[in-house]
Formats: sequence, C-alpha cells, structure tokens
Amino acid sequence: MLGSTNNIGKYYVYGSTLISAFIVFLIFSILLVNSWEAVTTIGLDLFNLNWNPATREFGIWSMLFGTLVVTFIALLIAVPLGVATAIFTSEILPSTYRIVVKSLLELLAGIPSIIFGLIGIAFFSIWIQNIFDLQSGRTILTAGILLSIMILPTIITLTDDAFNNIPSKYRETAKGLGLYKYEIIKEVLLPIAKPDLKGAILLAFGRALGETMAVMLVIGSIDKIPDPIYNWLSPGQTITSKLGREIAETSFGSVHFSAMIFMGLLLFIIVLILTIISQNSLKSNGRLYE
Amino acid sequence: MKHSYSLFLLLVILILNSCDKKQAINIAGSTTVLPIISIAAEEFRKTNPDIGIIVNEGGSGVGVNQLGEGKINIGLVSRDITQEEIKAYPNVTFNTISIGKDAVVPVVSSEIYNSGITTLTLENIAKIYRGEIKNWKDLNGPDKEILVVDKEASRGTRHVFMEIILGDKEAIASGADLVLGSNNEEQTAIVQSDAAIGMLSNAWLNEDVKGLNIKMLDGTVIEPTLENIINNKFPINRDLLIVTNAEPTGEVKKFIEYLLSSEGQIIVEEAGYVGINQ
Repeated sequence: MLGSTNNIGKYYVYGSTLISAFIVFLIFSILLVNSWEAVTTIGLDLFNLNWNPATREFGIWSMLFGTLVVTFIALLIAVPLGVATAIFTSEILPSTYRIVVKSLLELLAGIPSIIFGLIGIAFFSIWIQNIFDLQSGRTILTAGILLSIMILPTIITLTDDAFNNIPSKYRETAKGLGLYKYEIIKEVLLPIAKPDLKGAILLAFGRALGETMAVMLVIGSIDKIPDPIYNWLSPGQTITSKLGREIAETSFGSVHFSAMIFMGLLLFIIVLILTIISQNSLKSNGRLYE
Repeated sequence: MKHSYSLFLLLVILILNSCDKKQAINIAGSTTVLPIISIAAEEFRKTNPDIGIIVNEGGSGVGVNQLGEGKINIGLVSRDITQEEIKAYPNVTFNTISIGKDAVVPVVSSEIYNSGITTLTLENIAKIYRGEIKNWKDLNGPDKEILVVDKEASRGTRHVFMEIILGDKEAIASGADLVLGSNNEEQTAIVQSDAAIGMLSNAWLNEDVKGLNIKMLDGTVIEPTLENIINNKFPINRDLLIVTNAEPTGEVKKFIEYLLSSEGQIIVEEAGYVGINQ
C-alpha cells in the first residue's frame, strides 16, 4: 500500500470525526445563543406554570413535568418487558432461532414514529378511552405506553447482547454446582450483565426524551400539570410536543422563539448528562470475565 | 466499492435536479384555506405546467411567519394579521387578498347533538370554555362531562372564535381539555368523543361533527348555513385571506388572478365556502 493512500485514509477518518464533533458543538452553541434572550428577559419566571405568549408568560414547568413523567412511564413498562424478552432470546431460545426472533423484534425500531402516532391516535387512544371510561384517550399514560413500545427494541437488543457476551463458562460452572436455570439467570448472569443493562436503560431514556411525532399526536397538548399530580389519565404536554406544535408559529428572534429554544437546550442538557453517565457506566464496569 | 458508486450517483442526481430548478410558488398556512389552494394548484398547473406550486399546511400563524421570513411567496391566513405580527416583520408589507368567506362554527359530537343540544347561546359557549359549565346536564343534555377542545394559540379559527366568544382573540380558555392544531385533528377528536365541543370551519362539518345553531341575545336562532354566512347573519364569520409581501408579481400574480377568476371561485364554493362575489 502506498503511504499517501494511508494518509488520505487517516485524514478522512480524522476529518469525519471532527465534523461530527463540530456539529454537536454547533448545535449546542446555537441553542445557547438563541435561548439567551429568554434567560435574560424572563429569568426565573421560565420555571413556572403559565405559558401564554400573548401576555409574555413563558413558564415551561408543565412541559418539563410532562416530559419526565411520560419517559418514566415508558421506562417503567419497557424495562421489565425488554429485559425479560432479552433473557428469553439469549438464554432460553435455541441459538438457531435467536437471530430470527431478535431481528423481528428489532424491526420495531425501524418503524417510523409517525406510524406509531397514527396507530396511537386511530386505535390505541380509543382503547384507553374505553378501558378507563375517559372523556378523551389523549392522555399522558397513552403517550407513555406508546413510547414504551418504541424504546423496547433498544432495551431488548442491548440487553440481549449483554447476556450473550457473558462467556459460557459461567453458565457451565453454575450448572455444575447444581443451580436451576432461573437461579443461574438471577444469581449469576444478571449481576454480571448489570452495568450493560444500566447503559441500555440510559440509552432508551435518551431516545424516549427526544421522541416527538408519536407523543405529539396522542398526548393532548395542553400546558397543564395534571390535578392531582399523579393523575396520568389526563392530557399533558412534553417539551418535544410543544416544540413540534409551536415552533413554526413563532417569529425568529422573538422572546417566544427564544423560550422555545430554551426548552430545546434543557432537553439537550438532560440528554448530555445521561450520555455522560451511560458512557461511564459502560466503561468502568471492570468485567469479571475479561 | 459498489456502495460508494451508488452514493456518488445519488449525489449527481441531486445536483442535476437542483440545476433544473423550475419556477416554484411556495405556499403555506391555514388548514382552512388549504383545500381550496391544493385543488386550485392542480387545476392551475394543467394550463401552466411550467410553474411548480408547493403547498404546505401549518396554520395561519405559520403562514404569516414564513411569509415574514421570506420562506414562502403566499401565506394562507384565515384571520386578521395581528399588530404583533406586523411589528415583528418591519421590512415586510403584508398585502392581503380575500378569496372567500367562511364561518367558524361551534361543533359538538353527534351524540350530544342527537340528545337535543342543537342550539347554544354565545354566553353558554363562553362559560364552557371558561370552565364554568363542566357537564352537559347543566345545559339539559345527558349527564356527561364536557370534553372542551381548544386550538393552538395562533390558529386562525381560534382567533376568530375567541374574539366573539371570550372577547379577546388570544384569551386563555381555562376550561380546555385538549389543544389541537389543524381542522383535521380537531374533527377527529370530536368524532372520537361522545361529549366534545370544539370549533371548526363551516366546510368541515359532517354527519359525525354537528354544527350548533347560535341563539342571539334577542332570541333569534341562527343556523350555520351558507345563506346565513352570505348575508352575514351568522355571528362568527371571517374572510379567507391569502397574503403576499407587497403587490404580487409574475407567477404569483397569475396564480392569485386564477383564484379570483370565476374558475377559481367555483373551487372555493365546491370546497364548502362562500365566494367573494356573493
């Protein structure tokens, strides 16, 4: 191979990395610069309950609350379901079927979110409406359940990989000691896979935070915190659904626009923190089997 | 290698496409005006195949903002442009042209309509939107909680409706349960519920979404019929506007002239609205 080809390859790889890093930096700066006006003119009033551009009130509290609750519901449903499915595919299912079943489950990840939204609004919200006898099926819970289906493949795939990466000598030793299958899974495999599991959950968390279309269609889009606060069968609003609905209605450079961007910045920061935590937990697990 | 080759081909196609840039009219805005424009655009292109027309929805607020930012040539607006919007774009001269007339009708789910609530006073509708009346039984209807459907703040239908009902086009409706966007979305929510009230353009009423008659202060009942819109009797009415920056020229002017011609006005009437000459 020629030295020059090698160099071209090197710079290409370096360049690509730099561009990716630069884009992240650029997005962060754009969010920061554009939200500055809201931070300086509205300040702490950004964190209250009233959002009404006509009277220059921009309280993002109900959106932040909605985002966190919807994500929490999604994780609450998807984590046990996903981990159980992953245990099935990696430990119980014969390995010849594993890939088939796993790829079928991963197909879920390939479905565009607008399809989830359409199914959500046409059928799923009606079911919720009838089951709980509600006025409207567009609720925080509906959005949370829909979201849990969307993040399920992330959890299944990563957890399945985590189990699959555990060398079979652990299983064999445990079996040799006379442990039952469920004991092996519970006492041996789960503790070893725990750090990877944490990473999987955090990644799914990030995905759930950013989902827009499907949530926007089913959540009801009202800027209110449910009353009482745990009544998740009432409509709400997330940061992403608010942005999706309202950003095009704001004039560029206005305080309204700036307040919207501030919500985007907040979301960015939450995802950033999650990523840092998940990177650390993935890195420093000191795997027993290495 | 094969892969990068096809990528390269894709790039070439994209570049070639952008070279062959036809003149295009970009249009966006109100979902009330949209049905007229999308049909008119198709018809217009039959005689003017060289002019591309791109139509997007988004609501009246989007129509005004995108026009202000120079992203589109024509904004569709089903309400008046607000002072704030005019102030936000000092370099833009908003030029509005009315292409038809419409009414915003308070609508209810067919279950409510069939149970006997076919007429409400403006005051009662206001009470529902303020959250003072929460159950249909207070209006001699069935014992069901009212699902109050509101619309996004900058939507044309909402401005026109709230101006009459609550006295301020940007009034907060504290009784609202859902906030939705387009006419489609509003219509769906009302069909899906059996106890909903909402606001819709007159052209979007159907078997499942019934328009209410309005009882005026003097006791007369006014039905949301085309006749009552034509003679301005129905209290919540509006012009359907298209907005350009300054006087339209060239292709844009040609398209607007088509909308105002007798052919264009037939499309307006077939979409369920009232033409400008009536």
